[in-house]
Amino acid sequence: MSLHYTFPPASGYPLNRCLYQLKSDDAFRERYLKDPEATLREAGLDPERIAALRALDRDRLLALGAHAYLVFMASLRLKMATAPQTFERF
Amino acid sequence: MPLVAAFACPHTPQLLVRPETEDRDMVLRVHAAYGEVKGLLQAARPDVICVVAGDHVEGFFLTSVPALAVYVGSTVSGKFDRYRYTFDVHEPLARAVLEQGIERGFDLTYSQDLALDYAFFVPLHFTMPEPRLPIVPLYVNVYLPPQPTPARCYAWGQALRGILDARPERVALMASGGLSHFPGTDQYGSPDYDWDRQMLDRLVAGRGAGTAALTGEELDKAGNVEFRTWITLLGAVGPARARVICYEPSWHHGNATVTWPLA
Repeated sequence: MSLHYTFPPASGYPLNRCLYQLKSDDAFRERYLKDPEATLREAGLDPERIAALRALDRDRLLALGAHAYLVFMASLRLKMATAPQTFERF
Repeated sequence: MPLVAAFACPHTPQLLVRPETEDRDMVLRVHAAYGEVKGLLQAARPDVICVVAGDHVEGFFLTSVPALAVYVGSTVSGKFDRYRYTFDVHEPLARAVLEQGIERGFDLTYSQDLALDYAFFVPLHFTMPEPRLPIVPLYVNVYLPPQPTPARCYAWGQALRGILDARPERVALMASGGLSHFPGTDQYGSPDYDWDRQMLDRLVAGRGAGTAALTGEELDKAGNVEFRTWITLLGAVGPARARVICYEPSWHHGNATVTWPLA
């Protein structure tokens, strides 16, 4: 069995940087939600990676070098931004 | 001063911001366990809380990935969703840990400016006593391979204990993380709760020293990469027996809250 959390290959860096920004950079996330295509293109992603990220296609993203945790938390933060009323805050 | 209190707490953000998929009663039971930790902290009258946690690629992105690090600024801030946190940092203690850690052969990274990760502030949200205490954030890399080995984490915990015991402050130590969970993987819905329960039994028996012999591969397979923060704490508490305050498995996460009575 291969490991769940593996070394992030350098080829995946631009993708991981975008996932990190979707997770942690509120301004980037807002810009992405307004215009995902342009935001990711400006961040240097090619069409294949843009499509995988916009679909939040985990298997595809991992195959392209994305870190599993970043995929998870970027997805959760997008959901928290787009459907905030579905969460209970303590 | 010897350590005055030691705890391990979960930090999963679903405990702070609950999605509809998270069982509310389970969340409240974990909150009650946090409440017990808060009471124990208050009773132990610490001057400072040293929190050992793994950064979730928040303060440290791929620009630099330290195995072990100490935050030595005067304050530290972090954010998540609508939550904003700022904590005072116990700078003299943080600096002593850094300098003496280096002296003892641990090549620590330090930072005076980074975003605090939720692994630190989720447990503190629920457990910080009044009046609030300063903290010392201690980082162990858990998510970005290659991570430090369990043996190294345990040895760092032992060294940390030596440093803290020689200091004048009353210190509470808190490990943040775990237990089994697999965020972002196809095993997300299948944590290894058997591993968790067997481990908790070992800790209750005071056999935490054995965790130094675990391998990184075993931790990854059990969904317990974050257990490195516990292993660091176990190096510091030695043969003290754990008391499990709660073990609450959700559909994706083994929420464990544990105290080590040190008196």
